[in-house]
Amino acid sequence: MSVAIEFCDISKTFLSNNLQACKNVCLKIEQCEILCIAGENGAGKSTLMKMLDGLEAPSEGVIKIRGKSVNIQSPLDANKLKIGMVHQHFMLFDDFTVAQNVTMAIEPIKNKLFYDKKKAEEEVGKVINGYGFSIDSKELVGNLTIGQKQQTEIIKMLYRKVDFLILDEPTAVLTEKEIDALFENLISLKKEGKTIILITHKLKEIKRISDRVAIMKKGELVGVYDTSSLSEFEISSLMFDGGVSLGISRTENAFKAEKPVISFKNVTVQKVNLPRPSLDNVNFDAFPGEILGFAGVGGNGLGFLEGVLSGIIKVSSGKIFHKGKEITSFETKALRKDGLSYVPSDRLGTGSAASLSVAENLIVNSLSEFTQKGILQKDKIEEFTDEMLGNFSVSGTKEVPISSLSGGNIQKIILAREIERVKDYIIFSEPTWGLDISSSQFVYKQIEKLRDKGVAILLISSNLEEVLSLSDRIAIFCKGRIVKMFDNEGKISRHEIGDYMLAQKSDYKEGENE
Amino acid sequence: MNKKQSVFKNIINTGIPFVIMISLGIVIILSFLLSATPFKTLRYFFFGSFQNLYYFGNMLNSAIPLVFGGLGISIAMTSDNFNLGGEGQVYSGAFTTTIVAVALAPLGIFGGIIALLAGTLLAGIIGGLSGYFKMKWSTSELITSFLLSNAIVLIVNYLITGPFLDPETNLLATRKVPEVMRLQKILPPSSLSTGAIYAVIAVFLVYMFMYKTRTGYELRVCGANPRFAVYGGLDVKKNMVLPMFISGAFYGLGGGLAIYGTFFSCMKEFHVGLGWNGLAVALIARFKPKAVIPAAIFFAWIGSGAKIAMQRCDVTLEIASIVQAVVFFLITCEVFQRNYFKKKEELACK
Repeated sequence: MSVAIEFCDISKTFLSNNLQACKNVCLKIEQCEILCIAGENGAGKSTLMKMLDGLEAPSEGVIKIRGKSVNIQSPLDANKLKIGMVHQHFMLFDDFTVAQNVTMAIEPIKNKLFYDKKKAEEEVGKVINGYGFSIDSKELVGNLTIGQKQQTEIIKMLYRKVDFLILDEPTAVLTEKEIDALFENLISLKKEGKTIILITHKLKEIKRISDRVAIMKKGELVGVYDTSSLSEFEISSLMFDGGVSLGISRTENAFKAEKPVISFKNVTVQKVNLPRPSLDNVNFDAFPGEILGFAGVGGNGLGFLEGVLSGIIKVSSGKIFHKGKEITSFETKALRKDGLSYVPSDRLGTGSAASLSVAENLIVNSLSEFTQKGILQKDKIEEFTDEMLGNFSVSGTKEVPISSLSGGNIQKIILAREIERVKDYIIFSEPTWGLDISSSQFVYKQIEKLRDKGVAILLISSNLEEVLSLSDRIAIFCKGRIVKMFDNEGKISRHEIGDYMLAQKSDYKEGENE
Repeated sequence: MNKKQSVFKNIINTGIPFVIMISLGIVIILSFLLSATPFKTLRYFFFGSFQNLYYFGNMLNSAIPLVFGGLGISIAMTSDNFNLGGEGQVYSGAFTTTIVAVALAPLGIFGGIIALLAGTLLAGIIGGLSGYFKMKWSTSELITSFLLSNAIVLIVNYLITGPFLDPETNLLATRKVPEVMRLQKILPPSSLSTGAIYAVIAVFLVYMFMYKTRTGYELRVCGANPRFAVYGGLDVKKNMVLPMFISGAFYGLGGGLAIYGTFFSCMKEFHVGLGWNGLAVALIARFKPKAVIPAAIFFAWIGSGAKIAMQRCDVTLEIASIVQAVVFFLITCEVFQRNYFKKKEELACK
């Protein structure tokens, strides 16, 4: 087989937060193969593939297609090079038919002006039948199941006559049956001569469908292997083992309180349009002076947990207590009053208002302290801001818009605001995502300080190293359930944790009620 | 010094000088196309307003309601609320003020103040309704305020030409407000009244409100990033109704003062353009209270220049409408485009 696509020494650094997503990746993809790209969250899989689809540009290195180096600047360029990507979140218009969606931007035209509906439906129908799919080109996309929508995305690419098909986590939203159908389709596409690249972290699927597997970790390519030569265990080891030390040592917590600060009792979140609950019967207690870590692969409920804890997502059933008081139905405003401190994962979208000044960003959760009879007290605000800038060693001044600060400094401002007002519990979500090592260390020190003060800390993170290095107890999420809850005493191997995260193992019992 | 420089730079960066130059360029082109004496027309258009106190005072006087409208819109827009109902709000505010003032004539100045408050309150409620609908049913305040306004204009038209028509004149207008309530002229023979002083005070108060009070801060946070406002525990719902109310109230107040200062009776459709021009003024001022007065004077200058050119030369008043429309069009394009790029940038960051 011949080499079709070659990544030569590709690196990618995001300028906005100085995060290196890919480091010197050299990867050859062959004609007519199914290649899986596997790795943890943030390993750089998606970034690498986005470079192939023209959504990101490599900072260094070149991409070669059939030996020729190419410069892919947009998905349109990628289409011209016969590369197509199906994203995790579908890019379809519900109110248009399958044919309209598929032909979008390259519609057949009649009389030089009008959309040729008949021809579009005919041509799309041909593609559908030709590749053995089973949807109607005249159907509205809004009426399709999720599996069928994904088929539409694939057909969209096939209609553009791509030879290389990239699928980003294609099975994340599908049911077992739909996965079977998808894989059948993919295998027949391979027989047609297409090259298929799957981004995934599901071991079973890697074993089942791929010819080769490329494993990435922390932006680097660990290696490319023939799938048949590796066991699931070995793949998982390559993905998870040998993590770098974060340079922090976990200390035993001094508090042994018996009363929890935050308790979840059978909390379930069921969204109407999803087949399974996003949070499924979640139970846990967070005690003062402990760091409770939540780990899991993306899309397994950590985002929903963050939403429920911060009052943005309503629970469908179950109860939440704060020191014995029920807070289940509280919205963010009420939770804030009740004592919520929260460092969100989305710093720019949720945790700050870009156009407002540093000082204005610092007072949003403690306005009452800075107002007298409705008037903002300028002196007090400035004094507080200066103090915070000093305490958290932020390089920046109080009047500038917060957006002019670096990612690390913005995070420090958010930390300062939330830690300063902490009452008895605090939520950290992805506290070090995108930060450099020294900023991360700073964050960890702050978290430990809070723990030593007796605050209950809920640490939600997809960075397993972080959770393992900091937490006293760890809850592992998979498919919206807590599949394992354990004291972090080093008794459980990293590999076993990987198994829980990847649904190979579960301690969850159906119908468990406390 | 440094700060001043950056303010100046900001104005340049906004593209507003560019827009103004284009629109004035259009005046020049139109004059050459439409007028037999283009140079004379242009002279009157550009400098006519400064020729004598009468023209100058009248120009400033026509800026007063624009200042009030512009201030209201600035508050609404800073908190991410769109009020397109200015026309109806000015009209209903002015009408209510007039009829209440006429009815309360025996109370003198005191009655005048009550009448002004009544008009302000009514216009505020009309604006606030759209905010309430948005809070309750997530309807677009942009649409509801516009539709409400259109309906209200028709209702007021009926009231003026029907039950409240002044039988003593041939005008389609209500009775005149009592002499004692009318604002004093400060630049005779022009109609510039003490309303100008109130407009300056209003700018100061709005500035203080937006930047020095807690509520103003909350409104700005909601406008800057609604998700951050929710996250911070602010009352986002209240901040949908309040700015729409304030915005409507300012329109109503501007309408009422225009009656007290200039018109004395509410004539049928006297309001036309006040609502939209208030919006345009706010857009030119970039929703910054301090910039509302120069923006309003600019708009008034175009209108008054065209009027003078019409009286002295052979062009029609429409030339002002064309220029104002071009400014409005270009500025809105520019503002929308900026917002669009901002959103796109935010998306790209994620």
